[in-house]
Amino acid sequence: MSDALLDSILSTLLPGDADWPSAGSLDLSAAVRADCEAAALAAILGALPPDFAAGDADARESALRAIEAAQPAAFERLVAAAYLAYYTEPRVRIVVERLTGYAARPPQPLGYALEPFDEALLATQKRRAPFWRRA
Amino acid sequence: MSASDVLIVGAGASGAAAAWRLAASGVSVTCLEQGGWLDQRSAPSLGADWERALQTAHNANPNIRRAAADYPVVDDDTPIKPAVFNGVGGGTLRWGAHFPRMHPSDFRVRTLDGVADDWPLAYDELAPYYEINDRIMGVSGLAGDPANPPREARPLPPLPLGPGGGAMARAFDALGWHWWPSDSAIASAPIDGREGCNHCGPCGVGCPRHARASVDLTYWPRALQAGATLVTGARVRRLIADRKDRIAAVEYVDAAGTAQRAVAKIVVLAANGMGSARLLLASASRAHPAGIGNDHDLVGRCLMHHPTAIVTGVFAARLDGYKGAFACALLSQEFYETDRARGFVRGYQMQLVRGSGPVATALGGYMARVPWGRDHHRRFRSEFAHTVSLTVTAEDLPEPDNRVTLDPVARDGAGVPAPRLAYRVSDNSRRILDHGIARASEVLRAAGAVDVVVNPLASAAGFHFLGTMRMGDDPARSVTDRWGRVHGTDNLYAIDGGVFVTSGAVNPTPTIQALALRSADHIAARLKEAA
Repeated sequence: MSDALLDSILSTLLPGDADWPSAGSLDLSAAVRADCEAAALAAILGALPPDFAAGDADARESALRAIEAAQPAAFERLVAAAYLAYYTEPRVRIVVERLTGYAARPPQPLGYALEPFDEALLATQKRRAPFWRRA
Repeated sequence: MSASDVLIVGAGASGAAAAWRLAASGVSVTCLEQGGWLDQRSAPSLGADWERALQTAHNANPNIRRAAADYPVVDDDTPIKPAVFNGVGGGTLRWGAHFPRMHPSDFRVRTLDGVADDWPLAYDELAPYYEINDRIMGVSGLAGDPANPPREARPLPPLPLGPGGGAMARAFDALGWHWWPSDSAIASAPIDGREGCNHCGPCGVGCPRHARASVDLTYWPRALQAGATLVTGARVRRLIADRKDRIAAVEYVDAAGTAQRAVAKIVVLAANGMGSARLLLASASRAHPAGIGNDHDLVGRCLMHHPTAIVTGVFAARLDGYKGAFACALLSQEFYETDRARGFVRGYQMQLVRGSGPVATALGGYMARVPWGRDHHRRFRSEFAHTVSLTVTAEDLPEPDNRVTLDPVARDGAGVPAPRLAYRVSDNSRRILDHGIARASEVLRAAGAVDVVVNPLASAAGFHFLGTMRMGDDPARSVTDRWGRVHGTDNLYAIDGGVFVTSGAVNPTPTIQALALRSADHIAARLKEAA
């Protein structure tokens, strides 16, 4: 199997647009192979029509949807591996940061700032009588 | 190995608590743990690949994680897949640290509601142990919750709610429903050498600040200081009974792969409700042909989980739910107690769960997976950092056909048969979940959700294995007595969630640990009396 064929699959799953790179443009094929069970990947590749990579976007999407319907478990493994590779790719994390404000860094050691708990929020609840059942 | 007064199998939530309590009482204690220590100071959340770790090496499911310390779990006959961890700390290494107590009514379900069985003890008997446990685990929260009996001032103030939690609190108020900040085993400020939480989010990969409590950080340092011995890499194969009523030794394989025997006056099983039941069943002998404690075919039966639905609201506003401890913010116990007009008996808790990182959002951790294809990026942006979820945690009642057995084929690395799970969600539990889904949807919409997505049964929610060695006064209807001693044996106890008679509708760890402390006091008193 060529990287080009897997890249065309990845770009159908996660196409590019003005903001996002396509998954097939990010050299993710090795990571996807590592994360996707070999038998599942082989089953998907074996079910592709011979002219899959040459087809237009509509044709590729139709082909994959047919495979997904026929082999949902194997296809799900491929999708999960593709998402894992895509959203852990630094170039994608930079896009996520630009579009959503989610910092392209690990959660630690900096963590995040949150306002402390405001006990005034409990004013209504504090007026309520205990309602647990005595036993 | 030299003999100890007490030999504990399992270094998780219950084993650690008992080891400390016994050692602090002057009892010689040894604990066998099949896993090792986890270095939380170098947790994956410090690196770029933390989300990959959550899906792989730190995956909650041992069948996916496949670590050396794990054993396989045959799970093709249950919709709820196992989420357990092996190592010093057990499940607390991987948990969300939500820390509610059971209610007084949970111990009296037969008397109050005519179902299942009462426990052989009452809430008031456990209350002092809950307090001890809360102090050692370093609980953040606020006393005064009208849904629960009074309790001591919490050691630390509540964790922040975040924007999503604040919106939900106001929505619960608007509907006239209960909410309260969660008791959380996460330090909101420094305590006992642990730093305060900095709201990084993924508690499940371990906490490099040690803010999230796990018993490798709380109980084990105290237990070791008090003289307890902890043997890691020790995979227990079976209990050896020299008489019908006595355990003579525990056979295990050490870290070097060598078979060993450990002896003690008293043996304590603390390997969770699946692992401990498995050991009892795997210890069949001429004296115990169906397994130890299994003369009435009850070991492994009445398995209870907490069937969980997850209801997620998608909001137009940014909520930044990836900030903050994922499982700890607030809870609602408005529908916890029985009201038969609702069409079921017993009840449920709603627990706020914050959002996820990009990978988990795309994979649909709490919702459906974000669709692939040309609409993917739009959907991802509408969901990421724009959601808040409520779990609906149902009280599961004991059903004999829900059970742990031994698989005839699969075995672990030491040759011990793998546990096989057989489980169905009961009609009552399903009705509880459906009611909870409707109420959770209502409150999410009241908070302003523009869309509500329902996961009617979370498959990855097999955290809690309860009831497989249930307590009771009648040996024909229970496996263990009111102290956790296995009926028909003199020196074998179980102290993990397997001894639960009913499940309550809350996360069970505080109750498991309170029971373990109480059993430890009983065992220490017995040993003192015998001396």
